[in-house]
Amino acid sequence: MRGTLAREPRALARLVSGVENRTPGWEDAMKALYPHTGKARILGITGPPGGGKSSLTNRLTAGLVDRGHRVGVIAIDPSSPFSGGALLGDRLRMRDVSTAPGVFIRSMATRGSLGGLCQGARDVARALDAAGYDLVLIETVGVGQDEVEIVKAADVVAVVCVPGQGDGVQALKAGIMEIADVYVVNKADRDGADQVAADIGAMLALSGEDTTDREMVFPTNSLSGEGVEPLTEALLDRAARVEHAPERVSERAREEVLLLVEREIARRVRAGLAEDPRLESAVEGVVTRRSDPYSAAEALLGLFGRMEVVTGE
Amino acid sequence: MTPDRKLRVLVAKPGLDGHDRGARVIAYGLRDAGFEVIYTGLRQSPEQIAREAIQEDVDAVGLSILSGAHMSLTGRVLDLLREQGAEDIPVLVGGLIPDQDREALCELGVAGVFTAGTPISEVADFIQSHAGA
Amino acid sequence: MARSTDELRRAEQRWRDEVVEPRVERFKIPASPVRFYTPDSVEDFDFLEKVGFPGQYPFTAGNHPFEAWRAHAEAGARLGAGGEYGMSSSGRYSGYGTAEDYRDYLLKIQALGSRSGPNVAFDLVTQCGYDSDSPNVVGEVGRVGVAVDSIRDFRTIYEPFTGDLAIDKVASNFTINAPCCVILAMLAVVAEERGAALDRIRGTPQNDILKEFIARGTQIFPPRPSMRLFRDTLVFCRSHFPAMNVNSIGGYHIREAGATRAQDLAFSMANGIAYLQEGVDAGLDVDDFAARFTFNSFGGSMQVYHEIAFQRAARRMWARILKERFSATNPRAMIIRQPITAHIGCTSTTLQRPLNNVARSVVGGMAAAMCGGMPSAYPPFDEPLGLGHSRESLQLSIDATRIMIYEAGMSDVADPWAGSYFMESLTDEIEAEAQEEIGRIEDMGGAVAAIENAYMPRSVARSAYERQRRIEQLEDFVVGVNCFNGERELDLSLERTADEFYDPEHLRTAEERQLVKLAELKRERSERSVSGALGALEIQAKDPDANVMPALIECVKSEATVQEMCDVMRGVFGEAEPIKL
Repeated sequence: MRGTLAREPRALARLVSGVENRTPGWEDAMKALYPHTGKARILGITGPPGGGKSSLTNRLTAGLVDRGHRVGVIAIDPSSPFSGGALLGDRLRMRDVSTAPGVFIRSMATRGSLGGLCQGARDVARALDAAGYDLVLIETVGVGQDEVEIVKAADVVAVVCVPGQGDGVQALKAGIMEIADVYVVNKADRDGADQVAADIGAMLALSGEDTTDREMVFPTNSLSGEGVEPLTEALLDRAARVEHAPERVSERAREEVLLLVEREIARRVRAGLAEDPRLESAVEGVVTRRSDPYSAAEALLGLFGRMEVVTGE
Repeated sequence: MTPDRKLRVLVAKPGLDGHDRGARVIAYGLRDAGFEVIYTGLRQSPEQIAREAIQEDVDAVGLSILSGAHMSLTGRVLDLLREQGAEDIPVLVGGLIPDQDREALCELGVAGVFTAGTPISEVADFIQSHAGA
Repeated sequence: MARSTDELRRAEQRWRDEVVEPRVERFKIPASPVRFYTPDSVEDFDFLEKVGFPGQYPFTAGNHPFEAWRAHAEAGARLGAGGEYGMSSSGRYSGYGTAEDYRDYLLKIQALGSRSGPNVAFDLVTQCGYDSDSPNVVGEVGRVGVAVDSIRDFRTIYEPFTGDLAIDKVASNFTINAPCCVILAMLAVVAEERGAALDRIRGTPQNDILKEFIARGTQIFPPRPSMRLFRDTLVFCRSHFPAMNVNSIGGYHIREAGATRAQDLAFSMANGIAYLQEGVDAGLDVDDFAARFTFNSFGGSMQVYHEIAFQRAARRMWARILKERFSATNPRAMIIRQPITAHIGCTSTTLQRPLNNVARSVVGGMAAAMCGGMPSAYPPFDEPLGLGHSRESLQLSIDATRIMIYEAGMSDVADPWAGSYFMESLTDEIEAEAQEEIGRIEDMGGAVAAIENAYMPRSVARSAYERQRRIEQLEDFVVGVNCFNGERELDLSLERTADEFYDPEHLRTAEERQLVKLAELKRERSERSVSGALGALEIQAKDPDANVMPALIECVKSEATVQEMCDVMRGVFGEAEPIKL
């Protein structure tokens, strides 16, 4: 904790692990850190695979460092549902900044926990915040619910699309497009880039959202760096606005507290029932069809009335 | 150890050698053995590797080298980890390592040397036992 | 009159029921472990369409009725009786230390009878377009090949080549890809200095950048500018180096990196198509330039039948691509020219009980002989030990090759499997599988697109992992590695006693000596002419229609370094992105 505040990389890295692993005492550490946080703005970068998000993050980070920011990057990749392991390869595209002073990059696996990604990423971002990183970029692959969750932790979200992904925009409409504060059309030198931008424009027009006062779509080329500068401006500008949007701030705080309560209850339920013979007999009842899952759940829920499971006493 | 605890390993190819078959296979294999593998690709400098190992708080670093430059590259990574107070992170070396260099690498402070034909499970077990988990 | 297909099928069914099944039951196994092929396996087999005669389209049976080396093989053996013939394989891939070290090595093997031109392995520093004093190359200088920073080093390499071994009388080989244009510029300059006409210069640069992205990892620039540089070298070679080959297309490296046979074949063909298209788009005549393409020893597994079928399928596919897709008419443009055909590949050799690799390499040599190649027992058994090949291992390797040729008569029949129900069926199968994969790549937009989206490199990595998984699960067997590896097996060894060609002491001090030379160069040359030449290079590089070769030649003459030239191009083209798994 103290090391983190003193901006020691190793101490920060270990704190992040502790938070990520929910190592006993992590909550105390977060409580102690909280007063030292609140200075960092959090930028979310998401979109379908193959969009060049990591290269774009690399470029954005380099530009932000040039402006004098200390930048933390959280690069999130999915865990394997089979082994629970993960292949985290995002930082390989972040070489320009991987040894730059004032940059801390951390790869994170989704670990498939229930709504946990958002909280985990938020906690890690907070640790970076406390260690003096005033901007935190969270990069995720936008394919599943976990990634959509990220919006809850970020002050501003950029959705990255590329031309040539077939029905990409179509697919985006269904999910992550709704969470975007800005849209990035990366690899804008490729054929079809204008079409993607036009599709997004049409979609925005249909949504009825009033975007007349601000630019929403940014063409970039993360290889040459073209277009990254205006995008950086826009992201910083939108992130700064959040401070002046008290409803969004309190909505997020409410969501976070509720989520922590939910998760803790869920954890206690599982821990409490794990060894309880009543769970076993309920399961057996369902399996042998003497009972049904609904009645079994109802019966177990009865235990919570007395709070014996929830409190674990 | 908490139920969420995952072992994290950095798999890196230092130097200019582009033969990454072994590194890729090990990365896939450790992922399927339940590890979180940070794979950083080709041409990593020792400075990058040491920094990555620290920021990612890994339980082990695996270096894959087939170019014959293993002595100088590994030595440099170990020095940098030591300078930054991270000499406790075990460093493993794989690749084309002549027998006579094995011992020299271990004297430098390498935790283990793994050459062609080593089953991935053996590497996984080795990391597990050295991670102090 | 032949019997009907129905009759055959009925007979086969009877055989299965009455002969095979009882035996399978007797041994209590789920199915017969061996297969048997009949005319039914190659339905509608048209010999002339599928095979043809050796040296004729579609070249399934071979590039030529017999290979050049075979013409005088017996005469060679008679010459070798009691004579000095020990270094006949001296054209092999070599290079280490500084240019001076390598020059001395070349002189040493010339004294032992070598008549070959240099087959140059460059160090990784040069291959990746850096100089020896670059901060990120410490420990790599002169390590896996010779260090070349400037024309001075390149000139030194050619010092031993005079008289009847002059630069225009021997063939040179360069394992160089991303900075191939720089090395060709150096070759042009040294040839000119020696007063040799460029149209007499023979040799082969590897110049196969696409497979670097897939398998070998020495790419510098992104794929598209890399292809522009390929085009520039191709156009320059055809106009200035008419006797030079243009490239040596992968295959070998792709397989070594873990590709399956079908992936290797498909990816190599897809890359070849991309190179051909560059030439056509540049307005060159395919009948002329495609005849200057070569391939780098396709193959690389212990599956002897499959490797033979693979070579046959590859020859047929390439011929068809040239004829049908590129409308070539020159037969020379349709053949796969490669130094050897089938072989086991270095990844088939084992560190465990390494002498077993002699047996393995002989299997590969036999496969080669049976598909139109020299039966090279490759690689030498100590390949996986990482110490360089000993003279003992080289002797064993070359003797094994000789035994296959002279005692076993392995090379006395062209395409001995032609018409075999089994081999023709397997050839068709491999071709179809590769064709399907090529279709997939075409749908993505061709080889360059399939590199940009990482499809090809990722497919290779996954196959490598699958192979490892199969070995660990005992689905594939490797003797001495995952089976027959107990305590009671005997590990045979062979001491390295003969003199080494390389001096390990030189290797230790190479970096230091190279740095001294490079500092000297930078002191002595005219910075003004260097920056002038580099400035001109930048202008040419920025113009997509220009050819960088003339500007590079001026840079080389000004004594600009490899990295200085590559840095100019990095500035214009950008750098290749690392490939995610």
